[in-house]
Amino acid sequence: MAIQSPPEPAVSHSVRKQLLAPGKFRLFGRNRDWWIKMFFEGNAAISVVVLLLIVFTLFREAAGFMPGNRQNLEVYRRAGLEYVDILKRQTTEYAALGRQLGAVRLAWLQKLRAQGLDLPAANTRLAALDALDSRLAEAIGAHETILSEMTEHASSVKERVTVGQDMAEVRRNLLGGIAGADAAHAAKLQSGADAVVLETIDFVAEANVLIGRFPELQTANRNLSAELASILAALPHSGDPAIDKPLARFGDRLADFGASIPEREAELARWRADRPVTFLEGFNAFAFGREWITASFWQDWYGVLPLFFGSVFISVLALAIAIPLGICAALYVNQVARPWEQGFIKPYIEFISAIPSVVLGFFGIAMLGETLRQLSQVAWLSWVPGFPMQERLNGFTAASLLALMAIPTIFTLAEDALQNVPKALREASLALGASRVQTILKVILPAALSGITAAILLGFGRVIGETMVVLLCAGNRIAIPDLSLGLGVAFQPVHTMTGIVAQEMGEVVRGSLHYRALFMVGCLLFLLSLGINYGAQKIVRRYRLPQS
Amino acid sequence: MSLEPTPLSAPAVPTKPAPRPSGPALVEIDRLNFFYGEKQVLFDVTLDIPEKQVTAFIGPSGCGKTTLLRCFNRMNDLVDVARIGSGEIRIDGINVYDPRVDVIELRKRVGMVFQKSNPFPKSIYENIAFGLRLHGIRQKAKLDEIVEHSLRGAALWDEVKDRLHDSGLGLSGGQQQRLCIARAIAVEPDVILMDEPCSALDPLATTKVEELIHELKEKYTIVIVTHNMQQAARVSDHTAFFYLGKVVEFAETQKIFMNPSNPQTEAYVSGRFG
Repeated sequence: MAIQSPPEPAVSHSVRKQLLAPGKFRLFGRNRDWWIKMFFEGNAAISVVVLLLIVFTLFREAAGFMPGNRQNLEVYRRAGLEYVDILKRQTTEYAALGRQLGAVRLAWLQKLRAQGLDLPAANTRLAALDALDSRLAEAIGAHETILSEMTEHASSVKERVTVGQDMAEVRRNLLGGIAGADAAHAAKLQSGADAVVLETIDFVAEANVLIGRFPELQTANRNLSAELASILAALPHSGDPAIDKPLARFGDRLADFGASIPEREAELARWRADRPVTFLEGFNAFAFGREWITASFWQDWYGVLPLFFGSVFISVLALAIAIPLGICAALYVNQVARPWEQGFIKPYIEFISAIPSVVLGFFGIAMLGETLRQLSQVAWLSWVPGFPMQERLNGFTAASLLALMAIPTIFTLAEDALQNVPKALREASLALGASRVQTILKVILPAALSGITAAILLGFGRVIGETMVVLLCAGNRIAIPDLSLGLGVAFQPVHTMTGIVAQEMGEVVRGSLHYRALFMVGCLLFLLSLGINYGAQKIVRRYRLPQS
Repeated sequence: MSLEPTPLSAPAVPTKPAPRPSGPALVEIDRLNFFYGEKQVLFDVTLDIPEKQVTAFIGPSGCGKTTLLRCFNRMNDLVDVARIGSGEIRIDGINVYDPRVDVIELRKRVGMVFQKSNPFPKSIYENIAFGLRLHGIRQKAKLDEIVEHSLRGAALWDEVKDRLHDSGLGLSGGQQQRLCIARAIAVEPDVILMDEPCSALDPLATTKVEELIHELKEKYTIVIVTHNMQQAARVSDHTAFFYLGKVVEFAETQKIFMNPSNPQTEAYVSGRFG
């Protein structure tokens, strides 16, 4: 007897049908969930791809800078500009000597006038000094003549090089067009290209023209040394220590200059036009160059050091203001404040970040800079280093505003870090008989330290990347400020990496060396920010407290 | 553990103060009424905690036993709305809520161990030295000595003596709790408050802590809040049963568990509610 299978329940058929039924929505064989997932995945992917593209572009555009700058430096050397610059530095230093003597004379004159002499009488008294002054000016005459002639020569050589580069470019463009053109047009392009005359410059011969002046220079140097020695010997004395002291300083510098003449001569003698520019030289010229000079008739320099210094300097200054304010505010809000105070202070500080930076910059120029300048002229504040300020817009003005922008970042993250410290630690500390302040300083702050360090680093990242405020308020002088001023250096104008890119990118020729230099600066900023953010995340992960 | 309405009659306020168990009292609680804002959480609590013995507070959640414990060292000060309505807690005759009392000194005299072990994120050594430094002990030799003494006192020394300078967070849960006990006894308090010290520990670690409590009572007066009635029976000499903010019964532990005089106590200890 066959075993009868139990009768199928009526319901099972419809369950199976439902289980196997495809979803209502199908597109290209995919159901709704798949498409929703793809939508979100796609959004994430777009962000990643865009970021990669940006990074790629940044590095691609910057990549041409190093070889380009090396070529730039090579022309500088081949055309003899470097040789002329050695001499030029010498005369520049010499001119400074003249100015120093002028300053001494002015001080002396004022002294004499104060003693009651009238102007002609005082001038008569200073006749001996004036005689030395004019001898000083004349002694460099021979050098200056040689220098101006050499400058002219080197300029013309460089001009020829530049023209040659332009012509080569024209020729390349014409030849490049041939491939896609019809026969008649191609012939025209070819003949056009052939018509371009490329001059080959005999750099060695041109350099020899410069070096040929060397014997003349040697003679001039000998005369100069003798004259300086004689001027030094004839330096008058006033009998007044207030004048004699600067006069003696001048004498010292004069003697130093005299002593440096043979060194300069040796430097000139060593110089070779055909010495290749090494990669390291090119790199150093960028990384440690102290000059950023563009579109110059003489020589362009792309030294990032003053800009780098300016950026870091302003950021550190800003952090010096923002760290105490941000962290103390966070401590207060998290540990001490009553709930209604928390409810007021937190959104208030976070609101600062809603102020557009250009508005802050505008405020900096119109209000802060002017107020600080007036404040710096108050007599009883003259003990503050750097007061009275020479420039209304300077590192400090920009740093104060940057600090304002960094405070919300530092405050919010530091407050989060404090919030993450388990409440149990606070109770444990208080139960052991610690006061509130001891608990904050010895338990809560150390426990939150990694988060607070990360907050500071991210605040640093925030300010070093800030552009508008520094462009408007930092004074934009491309030079490393005089560090001998001590703390007063804060009131010197500086320029920044972000500022220079914003300022010059608009008017730069696309693809030029200058353009690539700006991209290099951009790369440097990018790497700096990347490093800071990476460091911050590392610290947070490394020292994360076990969460309760 | 939620508190269901029980067939029991509303708890009656004991007509007379709970009988004083034997032994001299170190802490006297005298008709204490305590409020969180408008809400009263302790009603006329009167208890005498005997010296150098273990007193357990038992009772269902929300009955006010932890609140009372945190009055001893004024940890309730941290809660803005907490206030004493009337009554006193006297330690050695001094009312701890007297405005002249130095809270810091009070907390030095009355140590506390919390429900969840909460060592500082510092080394084992520093965890214990923290309280000592707070109280002005600076000499290395003295610190070393007390740290060792406290760790031995908390039966932890043999387990950690080779890694005193490792983080206290690297210890197991039971070791952490014993570290917290060592931290509390390092400053030599008179009273140690324990707020459910074993609720987060496994049975083995619980046994160790209970043994420790047993040893500690030779030197310290211990008050322990627990939900675990077996634990109260094992470690305490006296037990107070709390219900809805009132002390229902306070007596020697044996009496509470074997022969409670109040029917509510009996219902609770026999597991019929709570």
